[in-house]
Amino acid sequence: MKMRKIFALFLALLMVALVFAGCTQTSQPSAPQADTQPPSEEEQQADEAKSEQILRYGASGFNGIFNPIMFDNVYDGYISNIIFEKLITHTPEGEYIPGIAEWKLSEDKLTYTFTLKNGIKFSDGTDLTAEDVAFTYMTIAHPEYNGPMAYAVSNFEGYDEYHEGVTDEFEGIKVIDEKTISFTFKDGRAAPANIECFDYGIMSSDYYAFENWEDFLALIDKPMGSGIMTLDSWEPKQFILLKKNTNYWDPENGAKIDSLLVSEVPEESILSALQTNQIDFAQISPSAENLEAAKAMDNINIVNYIGNGYTFMCFNTTRPALEDVRVRQALMHALDRESFIKVQYGEGLAAVGMAPISPASWAFPDLSELNPYSFDMEKAAELMDEAGWLMESDGYRYKDGQKLAVNWLVFTEADWPKTLYEMAADTWKQLGVDLSMELMDGNSVIARTIGPEPGEKDFDIYTLAFTLTIDPDPTGFLFDDDAYMAGGFNASGYKNAQAMDLVRAGKKEFDIEKRAEIYKEWAKIMNEEIPHAIIAYRSEIWGINKRVDGMFIDTYATWDLSLKNVTLK
Amino acid sequence: MRYYILRRIIQIIPVLIGIIFILFFILEQAPGTPVSYMMHPRMTPEQKAELEEKLGLDIPWYERFVNYIKEASQGNLGYSSTHKKPVTEVIGNYAGPTLLLALVSLTISIFIGIPAGIISAVKQHTVIDNILTVMSFIGISIPSFFFGLLLLKAFAVDIQLFPLFGLKDPLLMSDNIFVKIKDIAWHLVLPSIVLGLNSTASFMRYTRSSMLEVIKQDYIRTARAKGLKEKTIIYRHAFRNGIIPLITLLGFWIPLLLSGAIVTESIFALPGLGKISVEAAMSRNYPLILGINSILAILTLIGSLVADILYALADPRIRYD
Repeated sequence: MKMRKIFALFLALLMVALVFAGCTQTSQPSAPQADTQPPSEEEQQADEAKSEQILRYGASGFNGIFNPIMFDNVYDGYISNIIFEKLITHTPEGEYIPGIAEWKLSEDKLTYTFTLKNGIKFSDGTDLTAEDVAFTYMTIAHPEYNGPMAYAVSNFEGYDEYHEGVTDEFEGIKVIDEKTISFTFKDGRAAPANIECFDYGIMSSDYYAFENWEDFLALIDKPMGSGIMTLDSWEPKQFILLKKNTNYWDPENGAKIDSLLVSEVPEESILSALQTNQIDFAQISPSAENLEAAKAMDNINIVNYIGNGYTFMCFNTTRPALEDVRVRQALMHALDRESFIKVQYGEGLAAVGMAPISPASWAFPDLSELNPYSFDMEKAAELMDEAGWLMESDGYRYKDGQKLAVNWLVFTEADWPKTLYEMAADTWKQLGVDLSMELMDGNSVIARTIGPEPGEKDFDIYTLAFTLTIDPDPTGFLFDDDAYMAGGFNASGYKNAQAMDLVRAGKKEFDIEKRAEIYKEWAKIMNEEIPHAIIAYRSEIWGINKRVDGMFIDTYATWDLSLKNVTLK
Repeated sequence: MRYYILRRIIQIIPVLIGIIFILFFILEQAPGTPVSYMMHPRMTPEQKAELEEKLGLDIPWYERFVNYIKEASQGNLGYSSTHKKPVTEVIGNYAGPTLLLALVSLTISIFIGIPAGIISAVKQHTVIDNILTVMSFIGISIPSFFFGLLLLKAFAVDIQLFPLFGLKDPLLMSDNIFVKIKDIAWHLVLPSIVLGLNSTASFMRYTRSSMLEVIKQDYIRTARAKGLKEKTIIYRHAFRNGIIPLITLLGFWIPLLLSGAIVTESIFALPGLGKISVEAAMSRNYPLILGINSILAILTLIGSLVADILYALADPRIRYD
């Protein structure tokens, strides 16, 4: 009798299995796409779908935060940039230009006054006014705001009072009339980079009105903006379907395609998906073999440009072994970065790093003025000797009885730190350095280096990649003396008053040419002192199907910037 | 029996609390915070500290543990910082595909692995046995990411029979439920083969060795001497005794399948728990890690309970009173 129960259980399982087996069997003889043998009704729909212009993008990493002030990765950022519009936008060269508003900067460079263009409407048909702009910025300053963009408002006059809930008025934001709004920065905070604070999508104060912060968060995957497309549907970690905003307020500059389908495609399948026309464009992980494979596909155009960022190696200059600049220089000379680039990325997919500015930037200095730290073991040994680290019979260098030993934190999410470490382990050993490594994930590296208080930063060397903002101002970044603190980006402990004077001068200078001179001067010092050594500038590669017209991707031009020009053949 | 089951279910609660306590302790040891993952170059250290405070990370972990248990007992598993949504909602969004995938591949494993194991045992040392044995060794030893990519290359790129990624075709404009089911099933063929292969091979090995042992027992010889049909002997007498070790295995297989789903889901871009649990670990999304692991723990505990109940059904000598 109990036997029967077991059989019943197995029967139930068998039925489940048959349901699935049945499904697969019926569909097996046919092709996977819509052109199977479904009823004619569907065929018609499939035909309609074909005549529709659908651009398909493949990537992985979407978290479903389609909100201009809450997203915290580039992928969600793309979607937000398409659905929402910003006060300012930028040219492919990285110059800020008016977006949905023109701006004027006051004499004291503290107050930005924006005048909205005429007739801007959200996709639900309501007008976009100065009130909506104020609402967007006040939401970032809201006491309960828990997104990553607080710096966009924290330099405005009266931010602290408003953020801490002392007043309901935000002194630095003034709505002048329906189309005009002004933002005033705190005294002494005038800077050319302040314009970046206006690079955020504007939200509707009606649609997003909230009483509790949870009510606001509930809308982050139901976006509504004034952009060229609207969100049609999405499924977490599967796809995001955007449709043309048919109510777009500036029809001549609206989207030319009907839909944008964003699919979650794992990195391993990106090339195959491009090859089989299942997606129209995607970023390809930059390696020689990937580039070669992409070049072999005759349906794909390849875009290859230098990225806005760099990979770097941070030296903890508070350690006795690394405080001497000659030791740091010797280590760099003993690192064959040319070979590293060839092995890791392939020819033409990365360049040896020199200055802490992207080569694409207007502030990048003349290469001839920079030290490339070319691979030179003799030079390296010379510098070590000069610094007083002398070779002993055991093959290691010593100074005052101290062995030259360094510990390198290598993160495991990417290949390059390991490749670089392996090359260094060989050549630095020859130089007489006792090199050891610790493998960990990126988050752990940050916790050991950037996280702790000065004095408790427990590492000698770590490597990481850094993405830059469009403006070259390095305040708060790797080379800022004031960022040497718990949680600050500068973990090297290196201080240089002269360099900081230049950084401060660069923040105050509004003339772009004079500013470029200042940063070039600053970059030269950093290239000489290398508290952080820039390892490489990496290229980024995109594959774009030949049926796509009008898409432009470059260092400062993400694909969403040219989306409105895109047509499909 | 009823009393036994009730007692076991009640026992799950303290065990679960213990597991969550260990998880809290381990997570506390992991360096890094959710905030270091969402860093923006222009974010100041004060702003980072404020975000950490809003995530409740400034409270000592044992206090967080007590709060977590209190909240969890009311069904509130906290907030996922990367999704800006309650953990229960996030898990609800992703659990479906994983369970579907696990169920399909488990079914495949049971209905291929167990019969193959029986055949292999009955026909020991024949050509069929040798072929099945070689195949099962291949199945056990082939790494699933490699096998997955191999299948994708063959069936999704070269002959383009199956889709390359995803769980359904987003452009499928049909309200017909059967068309939708067919679409999903079509997307699940390759992933469930990959996820099912390893367990099919394991089930086969276990069934084979367990059956071999039973077939050599005296009572099987007695049954043969009685003149029973070979089929009856194998499927009624031997199989019922041989299945006991398999029940143990099944109880623990569900959590194993779910962890196997991590690799499978990544390769085939399926929106499941495996995929987000890796992301959650990388981004130190503590509430989500805890939520997913608690559910895995519950499944494991229930799995072993079900196995214990099935023992009693399969073997009348086992009684719980």
